[in-house]
Amino acid sequence: MKIPRLLTPGEVRCFAGLIALAFCFVPGANLHGQTRYTAQPGGSSIKVDGTSSLHDWEMEGTFIGGYIEFGPGVRLDPEQTTIAGIEGDTVPVKVSVRIPVDSIHSKAEHLPDVMDHLMQEAMKSSSAPRIEYTLTSMTFKGPHEAGKPFDFNATGQLCIAGATNKVSFPVSIQCVETNKIRVTGKTPVKMTDYGVTPPAPNFGLGLMKTGDNVTIIFDWVLRKR
Amino acid sequence: MNDKEQLPDVNRREFLKNTSLAAMMALMGGTEMRAEDAAKADANSPEALTKIPPPPPVSYGVIGLNDWGREILRTLSLLPAASVAAICDTYAHEFRKAKEIAPQAKTYEDYKQLLADPAVQAVIVATPTGTHRDIVLAALAAGKHVYCEAPLANSIEDARAIAKAAREAVKVVFQPGLQERSHPQRHFLVPFIRSGAMGRNVMARAQWHKSESWARQSPNAEREKELNWRLYQASSAGLLGEEGIHQIDIASWFWKSRPLAVTGFSSMILWQGDHDRDVPDTAQAVFEYPGGVRLMYDATLCSSFDAAYELYYGTDSTIMLRDEKAWLFKEVNAPLLGWEVYCRRDQFYTSTGIALVANGSKQTALTATAVSASPYEYAPLYYALEAFHNNTGLVAGVVKDFIDLYGDGDPKGLADALKAVKLPKPAATWQEGFEATVLALKANEAAVKKEKIVFQNEWFEL
Repeated sequence: MKIPRLLTPGEVRCFAGLIALAFCFVPGANLHGQTRYTAQPGGSSIKVDGTSSLHDWEMEGTFIGGYIEFGPGVRLDPEQTTIAGIEGDTVPVKVSVRIPVDSIHSKAEHLPDVMDHLMQEAMKSSSAPRIEYTLTSMTFKGPHEAGKPFDFNATGQLCIAGATNKVSFPVSIQCVETNKIRVTGKTPVKMTDYGVTPPAPNFGLGLMKTGDNVTIIFDWVLRKR
Repeated sequence: MNDKEQLPDVNRREFLKNTSLAAMMALMGGTEMRAEDAAKADANSPEALTKIPPPPPVSYGVIGLNDWGREILRTLSLLPAASVAAICDTYAHEFRKAKEIAPQAKTYEDYKQLLADPAVQAVIVATPTGTHRDIVLAALAAGKHVYCEAPLANSIEDARAIAKAAREAVKVVFQPGLQERSHPQRHFLVPFIRSGAMGRNVMARAQWHKSESWARQSPNAEREKELNWRLYQASSAGLLGEEGIHQIDIASWFWKSRPLAVTGFSSMILWQGDHDRDVPDTAQAVFEYPGGVRLMYDATLCSSFDAAYELYYGTDSTIMLRDEKAWLFKEVNAPLLGWEVYCRRDQFYTSTGIALVANGSKQTALTATAVSASPYEYAPLYYALEAFHNNTGLVAGVVKDFIDLYGDGDPKGLADALKAVKLPKPAATWQEGFEATVLALKANEAAVKKEKIVFQNEWFEL
């Protein structure tokens, strides 16, 4: 009698990976054929890197809400060089992002709550409690390299402190496990473009002034629903 | 150059006038240990230059309006972002005095009606110990943040039920009324004591002495009986449980360990027959900690001598905690640790009147009259309620954001998100409240029975 051979650890990992990838690019059961990924708690981060007259500063949060909804037939297959279901390089997709301003906190070791307070005041968090982003168009930068994230150029409306501006920046989307994607990217933001006066903490006899330009860096985890 | 020329503008007369017990301690060679000297002494420090962020507003319901309930109302009135939406007592006559402190508050005679009031975000439970369980469980079930006075209950079973409910109430803050755990001066001492800077721990001694009956008066006989719940063993945790819990808890907190056993004694010396009470008016307890270290504690209603204090003895130095201050008494042969240079020394010699202050370049350290006045503006209750307020505001905001972004169907995700939150103010946890309650209740039991009780691990498990 022939004894069935057990899978080697490498084969098991390969098999599990294939299953994960299969789930990643097969569209969800949506009546209209769209595939919707919804933000999930844990694993996400939003960072704001800034400069000042004394030293660089950083703020970070872990709350990013919203969704990404790909149009009918769109499939992200990590093994393919292109994306099924798109016309040319335009990706039919809707994206909405919400980030509570008060959930972003200073990483400073000294008096972080003061920086939090100043930033929340500057960003008018009482009247505009969320940073919001709505995608207007996204293009595929292809060709895609197997096993790597998909790269796109995203254009949308970014609303900070109640003021909205058009922004464009590159983003990457990676299938990380079954039904889960990770969206990463960064974009420079000029605070005064949004009516935000760069905070000036009263440190060092009032000599510290934060720079107008900051960089927003995001790492957003979503799950297929 | 003589000594006078070397001194800044120090009012020697004012300094000598403050010959209180504190000054006496200083004469004996005590160094007052303060957490905020460095910041206060430097007018250009970031703390002095930077405005403190206001905490989020929180509206309260206070349940139990007798003496301590009114003290809580007075303390809440000191917190700028706190408002009292409702007050509750089963005895409506209490409302008049309470409304003088919180005139805008709605009044309820049934705590369940207060808990149903959507304007109440957080409740403070200051009712007799034996009633805590029902009120706290209902409050947590109603989604209210809860501050519950210590001890949590007058039975381990009830305290455990409260602790379990608090553990499972992920969306709200639960804080037991172990107010010393929020006091900045006590937090200043914790690393010092745990670091071994006092040498090896030798022992501790603590007391709570008051010459008073512990009885409350009321023209209404039924109300008077309710008010005097502390006098009867059926409803009271006794002197060690109701008063001693705070000082007993400090020892376990400072030493970061739980006692192995407690031996108690008790007597009825002065108040026999008063109100037919059966709670002893004098009690002693010896707590045995690992390593042969013991806490000797006594409480009495028969003498006010020396009031309340704690002494922590080390091989190199001893610390005395009294009111909101602490002093260090070094052994003559103890090594110089280095930290002393940052502390004010209240030691002086009558021949010159010079206060020995190592950081003499900081003039405020010399001119401050802190020998008699506490460097802390408020009583421990203030710091505890401030912590409850600020932590509640933050947690409520995080929960709101989380539910807004991810929905209300992921309690584990919410719990994980809250674990990552750094609370703005230190406060006792449900676990610390539970363990302190078990210690205090067992100490009271040991005192009443005049026996030794060995602590069992399962008593501290939920």
